[in-house]
Amino acid sequence: MPLVNFTTREITCKLVYYGPGRSGKTSNLLYIHGRVPADRRGNMVSLATQSDRTLFFDFLPLELGVISGFTTRFQLYTVPGQVYYNATRRLVLQGADGVVFVADSQARRFDDNLESFQDLQENLLAQGVDVRQLPLVLQYNKQDLPPDLILTRNDLDDALNFRSVPSLAADALHGSGVFETLKALSSLVLQRLATQPPAAER
Amino acid sequence: MRSLEPWVEAPLTAFLAESGARLTLLMTSAGQVVAQHGFVRSLDVMSAAALGAGIMAATSELARVMETAPLESVTHQGKALGLYLAAFGTPRGRWIGLVVYGSETSLGLVQLFFARLVDDLSRTAPAELPPRQVLAEDFEHELNSSLRSLFGR
Amino acid sequence: MSSLHSVLGELTPLPGVRGALVVSRADGLVVADALREDVDGRAVAALAASLADRMAGVTRALGQPEPVAWQLVGSEGLLLAAPTREDLLVVVVADPAVNAGELRLRVLRAAERAA
Repeated sequence: MPLVNFTTREITCKLVYYGPGRSGKTSNLLYIHGRVPADRRGNMVSLATQSDRTLFFDFLPLELGVISGFTTRFQLYTVPGQVYYNATRRLVLQGADGVVFVADSQARRFDDNLESFQDLQENLLAQGVDVRQLPLVLQYNKQDLPPDLILTRNDLDDALNFRSVPSLAADALHGSGVFETLKALSSLVLQRLATQPPAAER
Repeated sequence: MRSLEPWVEAPLTAFLAESGARLTLLMTSAGQVVAQHGFVRSLDVMSAAALGAGIMAATSELARVMETAPLESVTHQGKALGLYLAAFGTPRGRWIGLVVYGSETSLGLVQLFFARLVDDLSRTAPAELPPRQVLAEDFEHELNSSLRSLFGR
Repeated sequence: MSSLHSVLGELTPLPGVRGALVVSRADGLVVADALREDVDGRAVAALAASLADRMAGVTRALGQPEPVAWQLVGSEGLLLAAPTREDLLVVVVADPAVNAGELRLRVLRAAERAA
């Protein structure tokens, strides 16, 4: 559950962008960082390799504002997508309040999406998280590519969205669908908080 | 100083006075801030917590891969500032402390008084969790307008 | 530099000595020690290094050179420390009944040897 401080009236939620390598997780954060006013966000922290592949995680803190008297903040994390970084993904996923699964819409990446999605479920289960309870949003990125290269949202829903969670088409590089995705997940996480009394500590 | 619960404040105040630390941050192992002293922007403190928790998580994983006991602390001595990072158990779960100190104190003093802080926290932690409270009924409505205001749509 | 443990070995046999340490002054950490079980070397090292800095500050303010040794006397024991030229401190913790004159001579000699 999100960390709620009833004394200082603050809510902090940890949201994790998960998905296969090069699906556009870091692009989501970069776009958000570039568009949110500086007084509502912190610096973006990127632990990346020399070739800009995420090595450990990217991190972007955001301040949503005051909701029902609570100053509400999001901590956005990405995980490294490459298969061999599973230990790192597990670490970043720890304590997540919600997950955006960023799928690569290109048809040739279909198996990578399935593998990464399965990996997400396994890592959540390993941490004792009930995957059916955790707020989850699917983002089908790179929908701007030529139609013959990509799968449609319906195709991807058939393959990945068996829980009927919110799914959105996106072009993270140019921003289409980026805020909509974050809004959908924030909404799920905070609505869950409103309906289930939070623990003050994790 | 800001802390999640009032009982953390007295031990942390004593630690700050005795150790001479400049910045101190207590966080959960998932990187959520529990208490802090010395940071000006709440958004900066979150970045520091994310990195601190990441370093300790990576260190623990490294110890596991090397089949050795979990490493308790990491220190980094810079020219002007030193950094001490340590994981410890509390009745509320595993926490991490991040301490930044200058030349007016020493790593030895920071380590010494940090060990006392850990003892004090274990001793003073209330047995019961604070009572659960519910958020206001208009929470969902305000959430939607805040999301619209931040994301502009 | 002579072996720090052999330097400490000349301090600990003196009756009443509860332990001796070589401490890094800059970070207040133990470099070498020979301690009885009831002495918290980590605490002694951290506090002695901090005190050494304050002592140096006091003598500087008085226009004096840095002290060659300093001694803290309590009702249940004493602590004697001497800086070396290598930014180390030789520190001894002893009972009140220790021969303080002999101890002082040995600590000064140890500080010379540890340099």
